[in-house]
Amino acid sequence: MSLFWIVIRQLAEIEAMAASKKVITREEWEKKLSDVKIKKEDMNKLVMNFLVTEGYVAAAEEFRKESGTEPDIDLATITDRMAVKTAVQNGNVEDAIEKVNDLNPEILDTNPQLFFHLQQQRLIELIRNGKIEEALEFAQEELAPRGEENQGFLEELEQTVALLAFDDVTECPVKDLLDISQRLKTASEVNAAILTSQSHEKDPKLPSLLKMLIRSQNLLDEKAAYPRVTDLSTAILEDPAV
Amino acid sequence: MPTTSAPSATGISSDPILDRLSSSDCDVKFKAIREVKNRIIGNRTKKLSYIKLGAVPKVAAALADSNSTPDLVVQSAAALGSFACGVDAGVRAVLDAGAFPHLIRLLSAPDEKVVDAAARSLRMIYQSKLAPKYDFFQEENMQFLLLLLKSENENLTGLGAGIIIHSCETNVEQNVLCHAGVLEKLTTLLDGSLSQREASLESLAVIIKCNPEAVSKFVELHSGRALSSVTELTKDRYSRTRLLACLCLLSVKNSSSCYLQDIAIKTKLVYILLELLDDSGQVGDEAPFAFSSLIAEKEDMQKLAFEANAIDKFNCLLQKSPLHPKRLEGVFLALGDLCSKLECCRSSFLSLQVLNLVVDALTHEDASVRSAACICLRSVSRSIKNLSAGCFMNKRVVFPLVQLLSDPCTSVQVAALGAISNIVVDFMPHKSTFIQCGGIKELVQLTKSMDSSLRLNAVWALRNMVFLADKVCKDGIFVELTASSMASLICDSEPSVQEQALALVRNFVDGCVYSVEYAFAEDGIILNAVGRLLRKSSKVEIGMQGLYVLSNIASGKEFHKEAVMQLLFPQHDNGSLPSFNQFLQSNDSRMRTAAVWVIVNLTFPKSVGSFGRTVNLHSLGIVSQLKRMVEDTCMDVKLRAEHALGQINNTFGEN
Repeated sequence: MSLFWIVIRQLAEIEAMAASKKVITREEWEKKLSDVKIKKEDMNKLVMNFLVTEGYVAAAEEFRKESGTEPDIDLATITDRMAVKTAVQNGNVEDAIEKVNDLNPEILDTNPQLFFHLQQQRLIELIRNGKIEEALEFAQEELAPRGEENQGFLEELEQTVALLAFDDVTECPVKDLLDISQRLKTASEVNAAILTSQSHEKDPKLPSLLKMLIRSQNLLDEKAAYPRVTDLSTAILEDPAV
Repeated sequence: MPTTSAPSATGISSDPILDRLSSSDCDVKFKAIREVKNRIIGNRTKKLSYIKLGAVPKVAAALADSNSTPDLVVQSAAALGSFACGVDAGVRAVLDAGAFPHLIRLLSAPDEKVVDAAARSLRMIYQSKLAPKYDFFQEENMQFLLLLLKSENENLTGLGAGIIIHSCETNVEQNVLCHAGVLEKLTTLLDGSLSQREASLESLAVIIKCNPEAVSKFVELHSGRALSSVTELTKDRYSRTRLLACLCLLSVKNSSSCYLQDIAIKTKLVYILLELLDDSGQVGDEAPFAFSSLIAEKEDMQKLAFEANAIDKFNCLLQKSPLHPKRLEGVFLALGDLCSKLECCRSSFLSLQVLNLVVDALTHEDASVRSAACICLRSVSRSIKNLSAGCFMNKRVVFPLVQLLSDPCTSVQVAALGAISNIVVDFMPHKSTFIQCGGIKELVQLTKSMDSSLRLNAVWALRNMVFLADKVCKDGIFVELTASSMASLICDSEPSVQEQALALVRNFVDGCVYSVEYAFAEDGIILNAVGRLLRKSSKVEIGMQGLYVLSNIASGKEFHKEAVMQLLFPQHDNGSLPSFNQFLQSNDSRMRTAAVWVIVNLTFPKSVGSFGRTVNLHSLGIVSQLKRMVEDTCMDVKLRAEHALGQINNTFGEN
């Protein structure tokens, strides 16, 4: 992480110097970059943090063996968390709820929004499977009381139930709810809640660092021409356009 | 043993689950308990249904059964914890089922999963007011608590903190905890996991709250490092941690004038709490309450908050409707505190038209919101400038306020009376609005309430209503209220009501000569009551108000002045009246001033009977006392005494 702060500070210094748009050559830039000392362990921790948070157990285990980096969480708990996430992604919401409750009953008892979203996902799955009667009964029995407790939930519930009103759901304005992305959204919400309950950050650090890189490059673009990284997957320095 | 079936119309009553919960087959029982657990978690309605159905004792039985496997115990504890989570009826059912001692016992179980489940359930129970109070004075209890706090297990440390938060209430309890080294243990947890940090901050705040001794102990802990750790946590990335750290610092700041008084930290607290208002969850709901306690009664803090654009911020928040009732209540209370002293805040409040939003909230379905809106209105209506401009005395504001006088909730009624008291201190043309809205009838009704706080505030509102009112207005109120009711209010059992009743009479008899007549209605029942109260009460405020009533009456006609003379200096003194000299020699300068005012009005030289009264006063030793009072340390007393003596000399000179 310190790498990025150092780069940003240097960028700021350059920015301060530049009266007009300054050109920085590849040699100058690379020299500056090589001046920045980053500990290998810090980089490894960053990678491990990503693997653990995103739930790549096998990769994390492998990375631990190869790099000797200790994960900041028991890897066994990742397996449980991933089982929950996968269940939601596959539409087995009831199964996912039971798994969360076995993991820690407090999560859904103290997080009404998450609980509502899981129940809503259950309703969506029933509708998707054409179990209309069951869906209606479920909405009335399980979701309506939550809507009474919270105005926001009521609105979301109304939207979801709207799916039932259309014979052809592709015409329904809330058809996105049936999209796979809705499952992913719910899954990531559960994932985040489990992580928080384990006192772990719910987002990996790496993506936000990359966002910071992009932002600082954008800021610098206004002041200087320099070898920038455009393709994040390769991180190749591109020659400045003069 | 057959279970009794519960014949009822609800969906789950025919559920055979009750039988399965007490099945002799362990596997069946396990599945049934797990099923109940999964149905009730997150679902308040289901919790209540199952509690009603009698599921709790059956689930608890599995906990007590020594044949239960650890897995079964875990399920049972988890289900009981969920019953207790957020539902008081559930806590009661769990306690009634006798599960509490078993849960405590299970904390020392060999299986870690069992320990976790029991600790979680106990934590849920301790979040309720119904949980049994933990006795910190018993040595073994304290040892156990320290053991919990020292544990590696987060659920156990969390339970320890939960016990402190629930049961530590008095200063003595706070001191016992400090003495036992709990502060040290809790500060260690500040370096722990997220949940440990939060538990630690919350319980630290409870232990040092309003206890200067505990605060200094905490501040000096690890040569100040504990305090700096907490200060550091106000910058934490988790909003809940930031809020709890602020609350902890607030406890330090508010209970002692020695710590955290520099402007930098004060400003920082203001900004952090304002920023926390944006949180969409529970933290955002609680932040305005914390903000309130930061600025309440403190003008310097209110100034800082004003400079940080707090009013603007709250206004923006209110635009985002619908807000959670809890948050709405907090925002109105915070605005009330902001506007309680500073006119700049009130101006900003009014120019941003926050008033409309507050008025809308007067009819909110939640009683706490209605009450908070009234409290806010009371603060804003302290603005003399806007009162005179009639900003509040219009139907849109007054009508809903008058409606609230018959609110089912007493605290709302009291809060509404508070707002009305201010709003009716208005100048002539507007008072009719209040009368048209039926306000007087409601107020008079409330002066007859069984609840003394309602009587007090209703009389207070009437007192302000009568202040500088015209004859039509006064007559209207007098007819509604009646002289005999006023006399009984003067004789109320509560001294605070007596005082307000006298102040009400004082405002009635203030002004033109016709006003004085009110005191003589129904054979002078009011005046007699005033005399009786003056005789028996020793409270300065009451004596003072009583003397001003007499002073106002003595400004009337000859007959009125004589009545006051009769009352103060009866010819057949029965000895029970404290001599008037005692009022003149009171330690309280306000009382002396009021007493001299009476003499000033009695000796007004243009009156026919002045000479006779002056002679009487002379022979009673009042005049010589007045001469001594020319040297009074209080300027008010001194000037009035000189004035009275001038009149007296004048009267003697003329004759």
